Amino acid sequence: MKLEGVDKKALLKPALAGAALVIVAVLTLEGTAILQYAFSHKGLKEEASLRAESQLEATRNQILDVIDQAETAVRNNIWLASWCLEVPDSLHRVAERLVEDNPVIVGSTVALVPGYSRKLPLYAPYALREGDGVVLKSLAGEDYDYPSQEWFTKPVETGQGYWSEPYIDEGGGEILMTTYSVPIRDKKGNIAAVLTADLSLDWLTELVGNVKVYPNAFSIMLSRTGQFMVCPAETLVMHRTINEFVGGLEGDKRDIDSLAKAMMSGKEGNMPIRYKGATSYIYFSPVERTGWSMSIVIPDTEIYGGVRRIGLWVKILQILGILLIILIIYSVFKNSLKYRAMNASREKMESELQIASAIQMAMIPKIFPPFPERKDLDMAAAIVPAKEVGGDLYDFYIRDEKLIFCIGDVSGKGVPASLVMAVTRSLFRSFSAHDFGPAHIVQTMNESMSADNANNMFVTFFCGVLDLKNGHLRYCNAGHNAPFMLTDKISELPVQSNIPLGVLPGFEFSEQEVDMAHDDAIFLYTDGLNEAENINHELFGTDRVKAVLRTRRGSMEHLNAVNEAVREFVGEAPQSDDLTMLFIHYTSTDEQSPEKRSLVLDNVIAEISKLAPFVDSIADEKGLDPSLAMSLNLALEEAATNVIMYAYPEGTNGPVCLDAVVGKDTLEFILSDKGIPFDPTAKPDADITLGVEERGIGGLGIFMVKNIMDSVSYERSEDGKNILTMIKKI
Amino acid sequence: MEVNITAKGDSKVVKLVGRLDTVASPEVTKALEPIIEDATGTIILDCSEMTYISSSGLRIFLTLRKASLAKGGKVIVRSINNDIRTVFMMTGFLNLFTIED
Repeated sequence: MKLEGVDKKALLKPALAGAALVIVAVLTLEGTAILQYAFSHKGLKEEASLRAESQLEATRNQILDVIDQAETAVRNNIWLASWCLEVPDSLHRVAERLVEDNPVIVGSTVALVPGYSRKLPLYAPYALREGDGVVLKSLAGEDYDYPSQEWFTKPVETGQGYWSEPYIDEGGGEILMTTYSVPIRDKKGNIAAVLTADLSLDWLTELVGNVKVYPNAFSIMLSRTGQFMVCPAETLVMHRTINEFVGGLEGDKRDIDSLAKAMMSGKEGNMPIRYKGATSYIYFSPVERTGWSMSIVIPDTEIYGGVRRIGLWVKILQILGILLIILIIYSVFKNSLKYRAMNASREKMESELQIASAIQMAMIPKIFPPFPERKDLDMAAAIVPAKEVGGDLYDFYIRDEKLIFCIGDVSGKGVPASLVMAVTRSLFRSFSAHDFGPAHIVQTMNESMSADNANNMFVTFFCGVLDLKNGHLRYCNAGHNAPFMLTDKISELPVQSNIPLGVLPGFEFSEQEVDMAHDDAIFLYTDGLNEAENINHELFGTDRVKAVLRTRRGSMEHLNAVNEAVREFVGEAPQSDDLTMLFIHYTSTDEQSPEKRSLVLDNVIAEISKLAPFVDSIADEKGLDPSLAMSLNLALEEAATNVIMYAYPEGTNGPVCLDAVVGKDTLEFILSDKGIPFDPTAKPDADITLGVEERGIGGLGIFMVKNIMDSVSYERSEDGKNILTMIKKI
Repeated sequence: MEVNITAKGDSKVVKLVGRLDTVASPEVTKALEPIIEDATGTIILDCSEMTYISSSGLRIFLTLRKASLAKGGKVIVRSINNDIRTVFMMTGFLNLFTIED
């Protein structure tokens, strides 16, 4: 997109605003996301803690239930064992009973302290569940030294019940076992035997292993010494202690190490563990009496995985949203640029139209009064285009004491009409420059305009030539509306409508004439006046025009009054057509009619001698300065010599007429002949700056005529005369 | 129109009396023919009694001036009245001639 006429600096502001908007949007979205993430993070963490801790608690209680069962069963048989000490042979019954009565107990023994019974120095009957029944075995064999076993020594030493370290029972099917043993005292209170109950820990593995707080969370149970009792890595179970495991790890294992220490010391709590870039949360709790410690390990991806996935989606949506915002801002920005550019080009066009309008207006005379020095003429004119530029025109100027004027209305409006208007005006100026015949002027213009009128534009036109010396008005109407003549009454000037300019080449325009008396006026207008519409689509009409004109005032006042009246009438309605008015008020100051004399010469040089007496008589009468008289004589002699020498070819004869119209302030000499067409004014002026050698012999005569007279004009009359009019102000 | 020619050594004085208008021009031209043909030396045009001149008269002056220039002579216009001076001025002849009072 090309952006003409848009200030670069002006673009900076919306660009900055756009950027700021994007930044604010990003910050808002990002901030919301971070807050939301933080809150959900916290919530998830709390939820994870809650789940882990309650699970831990529940599992521990379940374990303790079993432990309690076992302990209670054992304790309940202590009295029986004590009682049976009197008859040691019967002690196996206690073991058997314990196994039979308690499903959780898979084996039981009552082992006598060596030497307690003389009869049975080593005695340890062992009841073992096998299938649905219970079989009795003995632990007092050569290959098994029971008195040195931990399950035996600990209660004997402490006098307390003791839970052994878990172990794999090799004899009884490779199952994980633990043994609870209590001392049995005789009646004297001496420890005489140890009663044990073997507890299978299969249920424990199952129970703890099935604790699933999260799909990928897992549980670990450690024994008092740190053996792995339950662990997802089965190779570790009962083969490694946690210390051995930690020892085997690589890298930064400080967190795992401190976890091991905390669990081994029977603490309860939770801690995050970072190992090899992964973070897990560990919740751990001891299982009383047994010295075991249970933990639940939850990888943080389990806790936050969901929210992270959501976070990822949120991020993607955010980026899409921001891209969308940028896109929208860009398109808004682009549109605003386009709008600015359009605005700029429209402004440019408007200013160009204004310039065109100014140029157009500069073509027509618009300083009023146009001839302040003249007492015989008062004029006013106004042109109000409906658009920036209009198709109406008027023009006027004075040449040789004749006011040549016109008014015209080009078909259409706006720029095309204004161009035609400009052409019309310049044609009027050029064709009227040497012509006082309105019909001839109009005809010449029509020929020129209809010759190549591709767009079929036409112009209604009225052209007039007012002889200011005598008020004689010659006019030609080309399809224009009839002007008003203001004498002692107001009437339309009789016009033959002819046809507008530019319609038909070769059309013969007719000319009319009227004599204007002192204080008569003529009001010309275009149809923008009588066809001006108000909001009710009523036309202003010629009657209203006449009514306003009836109140006679000065030219300009007249014009303003009409303008005001039409404006008031139209009101709010838009101006539909160009409106142009031209007011010509003729006030002849020549009270007495000018005197006219004539002199007729033959076309021989000798006749020139008659000029001097003719001029002198006028000069005497008007009391002219002799020098002026001589100048007039010289000019007339030169003009007449020209005619005598050039108008009539050798051998032909004809009269040379000189009319002198003696006015109050002017002398008008009209030299006419019936010779061949000859325009002396067309000859180029002699160059008086040349030196002797370059200086031509001829060309001085007419040059002096132009110099001496105030105006010199040539016209070839319709009846075949050369007419040279020379005017001298006196 | 009267034309009086007098020779004084190297210079010739042409006295013009009356109106040098279109009608008078042919006879003046004829009278001045010898001087135009032999336009050497100084030619003085005495205009003290010339009352009028038209373009045909000016042409005679110019013809003389051109002839004199070709022969290396000199033309002096003497004693023109104000009206004729105006005509001279109008036509640029003031610059072409040596004007003496």
